[in-house]
Amino acid sequence: MGFLVTTLIFVVVGVIACLCARICCNRGPSANLLHLTLIITATVCCWMMWAIVYLSQMNPLIVPILNETE
Amino acid sequence: MGERGRGCCPPMDLMRSEPMQLVQLIIPIESAHLAVSYLGDLGLIQFKDLNAEKSPFQRTYAIQIKRCGEMARKLRFFRDQMSKAGLPPAARSVTQDTSLDDLEVKLGDLEAELVEINANGEKLQRSYNELAEYKLVLHKAGEFFHSALSSAEAHQREQASNQTGEESLETPLLSEQETAIDSSKQVRLGFITGLVPRDKSMAFERILFRATRGNVFLKQATVDEPVIDPASGEKVEKNVFAVFFSGERAKNKILKICEAFGANRYSFHEDLGKQAQMITEVSGRLSELKTTIDAGLVHRGNLLQTIGEQFEQWNFLVRKEKAIYHTLNMLSIDVTKKCLVAEGWSPVFATKQIQDALHRATQDSNSQVDAIFQVLHTREMPPTYFRTNKFTSAYQEIVDAYGVAKYQEANPGVFTIVTFPFLFAVMFGDWGHGICLLLATSYFIIREKKLSSQKLGDIMDMTFGGRYVIMLMSLFSIYTGLIYNEFFSVPFELFAPSAYVCRDPACRDATTVGLIKARDTYPFGVDPAWHGSRSELPFLNSLKMKMSILLGVAQMNLGIIMSYFNAQFFKNSVNTWFQFIPQMIFLNSLFGYLSVLIIIKWCTGSKADLYHVMIYMFLSPTDELGENQLFAGQKMTQVEQSVDGEILFSPYSILIISDETLVLLLLALVSVPWMLLPKPFILKMQHNRHQGESYAPLPDTEESLQSGANNDSHGHEEFEFSEVFVHQLIHTIEFVLGAVSNTASYLRLWALSLAHSELSTVFYEKVLLLAWGYNNVIILIVGIIIFIFATVGVLLVMETLSAFLHALRLHWVEFQNKFYEGDGYKFYPFTFTLLDNEEE
Repeated sequence: MGFLVTTLIFVVVGVIACLCARICCNRGPSANLLHLTLIITATVCCWMMWAIVYLSQMNPLIVPILNETE
Repeated sequence: MGERGRGCCPPMDLMRSEPMQLVQLIIPIESAHLAVSYLGDLGLIQFKDLNAEKSPFQRTYAIQIKRCGEMARKLRFFRDQMSKAGLPPAARSVTQDTSLDDLEVKLGDLEAELVEINANGEKLQRSYNELAEYKLVLHKAGEFFHSALSSAEAHQREQASNQTGEESLETPLLSEQETAIDSSKQVRLGFITGLVPRDKSMAFERILFRATRGNVFLKQATVDEPVIDPASGEKVEKNVFAVFFSGERAKNKILKICEAFGANRYSFHEDLGKQAQMITEVSGRLSELKTTIDAGLVHRGNLLQTIGEQFEQWNFLVRKEKAIYHTLNMLSIDVTKKCLVAEGWSPVFATKQIQDALHRATQDSNSQVDAIFQVLHTREMPPTYFRTNKFTSAYQEIVDAYGVAKYQEANPGVFTIVTFPFLFAVMFGDWGHGICLLLATSYFIIREKKLSSQKLGDIMDMTFGGRYVIMLMSLFSIYTGLIYNEFFSVPFELFAPSAYVCRDPACRDATTVGLIKARDTYPFGVDPAWHGSRSELPFLNSLKMKMSILLGVAQMNLGIIMSYFNAQFFKNSVNTWFQFIPQMIFLNSLFGYLSVLIIIKWCTGSKADLYHVMIYMFLSPTDELGENQLFAGQKMTQVEQSVDGEILFSPYSILIISDETLVLLLLALVSVPWMLLPKPFILKMQHNRHQGESYAPLPDTEESLQSGANNDSHGHEEFEFSEVFVHQLIHTIEFVLGAVSNTASYLRLWALSLAHSELSTVFYEKVLLLAWGYNNVIILIVGIIIFIFATVGVLLVMETLSAFLHALRLHWVEFQNKFYEGDGYKFYPFTFTLLDNEEE
């Protein structure tokens, strides 16, 4: 689906999660900031992991060599 | 505590510890007890011990504490008795307000009663046992005499018949008749009957024989069942004995020997009639005693029951009072003003609550004077207090285990909430195992309320306490499992068809040259074609090692940025300019550069060898890189000098790589003295400036009572330049060497995830598939059972613990040593809720 499109999907999911957290548990500005930080950290971590795996497969230097039995 | 700057950012929960203040309370004596009680209920103030020099016996309330100790001892005695009787104490019932004095009296009465019942019961039991033994003796000894008598009668009858039959010339004239008459007078044997323990019976016999020179006759009979010995109360195997002797001296010797062997003696009558009478009498008394003893036990049971109902409540009351008196002992007493002075740390937000509690105490104790609450100014470091809920408390404990945060420094716990489960998941990645973990932890979370009131074992307690941590760990594991494409090591084509196809329709080259990437990159995660192929490990190793480096550099940068936030908060510009900036430059010019190279290599598909690039960056930075070039230069000469033409043009050319490398290397080299040299000199200049100000403003606010001891710690700060310099040198070396070693340390993310996937593959292929291959149901079932045990034991338990430990190490060392000082102390308020969990 392309790198940029999926990155945008991650961003959108992160924003939706922030909005959900704001709606469901709105407990004062400092607590909200904590929730926001946690959600952004989680989104960034997940995106980084996906992006690393995706980028490494975009222009591969080696290809799968199957085993003899298969 | 003085005001600290807010820094650049709005306040965030949990990021910094709560602002604390040192408060002084002046409480009139009559309301002191109530005041401390209400403050204990509130649980937000940590009292300082103002009487530290006094021994425990010199303190004001030592007598009260002794009373509480007495009552606690009585309660322990009750608990022992209840557990011996097998009655567990009931859970705490509705509280009735009993005063301490009433309780003391009640406990004293109950104890006296219980002790009396116990003593009586013991006496009765002893008498019962003695009577039981007596009955046995009567029985068995009776048998001796009966058999002896019958044989003697038979003998006499024989003799008599002999005598009546023989009246011939051969009968001697006097002797036999005389002996016949005299024989009855010559039998003057005494006897003693009793019971002796069986294991001592042989020795008993031998010693009796020797002591009386063989002039005794001992008859023993075993008792079949073990008998309860009255003295010791235990069941012992015994023998009934009857020893016949003649003479006073023999009797004394035998008595002494019986005593030495612990043989109980019982009197016995020869007369048959009397024997029967004794037996009936003894039986009667035995049954009477039994009923008495039973009645006593029932009475005792009832008493213990009544105690048991109130036990927990009394226990809590006594411990609460003891805690209150301990706290009251910490306050300093001002006899002239008839009030107690308390000092303690409390959070700033609790000011109103404390004042309310004091006011209520004044009212409830009908005191004339209100308590005084005032804030003191001090230079001591306050304790660290984080307001955590059940979710964040586990993470905070993980961070605190390494070191409690200094007052108001940035709390790594905030980011640990997400990065710790994430790094765990990178090492654990398998969505099948993740689902198993999730099921296990949701059991704990669903039955949270019930389990939190139970007392679980040590390991279960820890697992239950960390249930939210494990929940996040399992959710992230499911995510990384989808990315690594492993479900119990089996890949699935979930998101799109695999990107790799055979080169030709007959797939001849698949096992030699391999497949070819014909379709779009697999959109989410590792392509399923890799699993089981021969080149799987080279590809995955390269991927995971680079991923570890990228994640590690990101986390370390985050750590350095946290140190920037600390510097801003504490308004320490020296740290910002001469620590944060050179650290960022050093780390990023070397390892940030490496990360950028990795990403460019992936994006362009270049065949450059990054090891070569990095190493030669240090060895010969000015050389041309030839086929290891990653960016094309703007100068055409760079391209012409290329060897194989395998350089890929990048339209985003920036600099000639050799220039780039040189610049970064120079930046890294410059940042080291930048970290090392300026800071000690600047600190020295600042210190000299402070010393130069000989007039310091007098403190016009109140100082704490204990501040005299602490004043000289700040007033005459010694500034040893050499010490500061060495400290900075150590810090710099630690950072520089640590940059390399910590980055390499992140490779454990690769190592553990490789181990996990290999173990998982082995269990799947060599157990499950092997069992499936036999086409036999029994072998299949055995195979499945082995697979389940191996998965749970090795992968779900051992690997979880292992990955947990390594993720913890990465946080404690690699992340936290970039910014965390962790030399604070924790806030332990005076509260009664902790008493519930205490075990005496």
